[in-house]
Amino acid sequence: MPTTITRRDAIGLLAGAAAAPLLARSAAAQPAWWQTIPAAAALVGDAQPSGQGIAIELPLVSEDGSAVDLAVAVDRPMTQDAFVESIHVFARGNPSPEVAEYYFSPLSGRAAVATRIRLNQSQTVGAVAVLSTGEVIAAARDVTVTISGCLARDDTYAATDIMQTRVRAPERIAPGGAGEVTTLVNHPMETGLRTDAAGTVLPEDIVRRLIATFDRATIFEARFHRSVAANPYLRFFVAPPRSGALVLRWEADGGRVAEERLDLVVS
Amino acid sequence: MTINRRTALGLIGAASGAAILGMPSIARAATGRVVVVGGGFGGATAAKYLKLRSPDLAVTLIEPAARFYTCPFSNLYLGGLIDFEAIGHSYDSLAALGVEVVHAFASDVDTAGRTVTLAGGDSLSYDALVLSPGVDIRWGALEGYDEAAAELAPHAWKAGPQTQLLRSQLEAMPDGGTFVLVAPDNPFRCPPGPYERVSLIANYFKTEKPASKIIILDAKDSFSKQGLFTAGWQALYGDMIEWVSRTDDGRVVRVDAAARSVETEFGRTVTADVLNVVPPQQAGLIAQRAGVTNETGWVPVKPETFESQLVEGVYVVGDATVAAPMPKSGFAACTQGKVVAAAIIAALEGRAPPEAKWANTCYSLVGPDYGISVAGVYAVIDGAIAEVPGSGGVSPADADGAFRAREAQYAHGWYRAISNDIWGTA
Repeated sequence: MPTTITRRDAIGLLAGAAAAPLLARSAAAQPAWWQTIPAAAALVGDAQPSGQGIAIELPLVSEDGSAVDLAVAVDRPMTQDAFVESIHVFARGNPSPEVAEYYFSPLSGRAAVATRIRLNQSQTVGAVAVLSTGEVIAAARDVTVTISGCLARDDTYAATDIMQTRVRAPERIAPGGAGEVTTLVNHPMETGLRTDAAGTVLPEDIVRRLIATFDRATIFEARFHRSVAANPYLRFFVAPPRSGALVLRWEADGGRVAEERLDLVVS
Repeated sequence: MTINRRTALGLIGAASGAAILGMPSIARAATGRVVVVGGGFGGATAAKYLKLRSPDLAVTLIEPAARFYTCPFSNLYLGGLIDFEAIGHSYDSLAALGVEVVHAFASDVDTAGRTVTLAGGDSLSYDALVLSPGVDIRWGALEGYDEAAAELAPHAWKAGPQTQLLRSQLEAMPDGGTFVLVAPDNPFRCPPGPYERVSLIANYFKTEKPASKIIILDAKDSFSKQGLFTAGWQALYGDMIEWVSRTDDGRVVRVDAAARSVETEFGRTVTADVLNVVPPQQAGLIAQRAGVTNETGWVPVKPETFESQLVEGVYVVGDATVAAPMPKSGFAACTQGKVVAAAIIAALEGRAPPEAKWANTCYSLVGPDYGISVAGVYAVIDGAIAEVPGSGGVSPADADGAFRAREAQYAHGWYRAISNDIWGTA
């Protein structure tokens, strides 16, 4: 008995044949997330970013868009020969998509940060990592932002001691190992997008940078934009080659500066 | 057998419900068996309304406890305002309605074979399954906080022996002691719960142990009804309650239950006389066994019906679900139970589910005569659950004492009404 092709089969086959070029075309037409953000596209340039070795942690659903926990880690060695130079975070659905940049050194030990960011709406949050080899890694995550029924929240800023800092580092770090530093600075991170009761725009007033030096050499730097949540919070790693002084320096608008010094013990 | 007035009304209600449901699809009435796991606000409601609307349906409710103690109003017990039995409810009225109530622990689900396995080894087959598993504690997610630690530093976030343990510790605490409550990050069961709890414990201290102090160590920088709570604390308790935000180093990273002390993110040690840890949570175990949880440990559901996004024929309600912006509250669970009952009956009758609407009303007592509330109505808007614009609101910030006293009365009315709706007991 000869094989017959029914009408449905025939349509299926045709559709299958037609689908492949269609899919290829739509993939080409659909830009990658970083291509839709000028600053991210400029960063990537002509590189073909891979999505391997980068992890973005975000809640699937955030119930408070004013402070969403975000962690980014790039799983690559941090040696003098090759290391992760920087990680750049973008939130495409915010009024300005740049969130923060983090600059590492081999003495960072690990290219991993955790912070809290503002998300205006449900959207895609992406990170681009640039390696000293010129390699670029990029990834993105979708996050749903909602304000839950019982969580009615006002956006008044209550903290009193602006530029007050908190720092915690391990009591000792094993030779060759990395230790995590947790830090926070009190600051409203005024976005420049809000108006007061009289309708006057409140000018942008934010913490711009955190610089970490070890024995006076910069080993890590973070640059903040308006999408970093009030009271900037940051966790990052240090891998000091010996015991010594870690100095953290925050720089904010209006010339405001705060400094903290910690003695790190390597043994 | 005599038919009392309430039963008669129930019968009439059920009959007219069936007639209305039957009209558009004369060919098929809802038959078969629905198994509901969990007899709390979501599950008991689903079981009741399935049976009420479709009496020919076999409805089995699996719940280990013969008597269910509610988290809502458990803070009144902790504050010494009511007896423990005042928050306990039996399943007699559900059984009288024709719901088969099985007091057992559902240990596993085979969603392919459509059977639920009980801890004793028995299994029950179903045509549709409702899971209302509530929350489980994520033991160990907060370093040092495991089941043994909870016997020393209770969570009391599931009403029962834990609640009684915390009350007995509060009673034993000397005047001048410190009560520390560790509050978790979102999402967790009952967002205003920790703050109502400290309020009513402050009320107990104010009258019985006035030299005592209360500290809330919070993993968040803001909390439910914050302005209303803060103003109420000031008005009723002066500076007895200290709230430490995450930014002010309130986030606890380690618990030493034996020492009744905790360590904060930036290294401060806080020691308590009575330590109450409200730990990180996730959907109840049976949800994981059924394969309906995602990587967050909670259950994503289809907005229109609360059917699992991951497993067909499994409906999930209550605190276990990702239903934001609807909160993890008893009232929300109750309305979800009603929506699921309607959706399942529609599915069994071969109809499309009716349009879903949910509501939440939540009262908190800041003091015995000082109530505050938040309410909202929810619907599916653009494919997602959303609050209906302009539907809800919170208590005014500038209300007078008489207003707060009336809201406290409404809180008691709220509890009687919802208990009566679900368990037939008030």
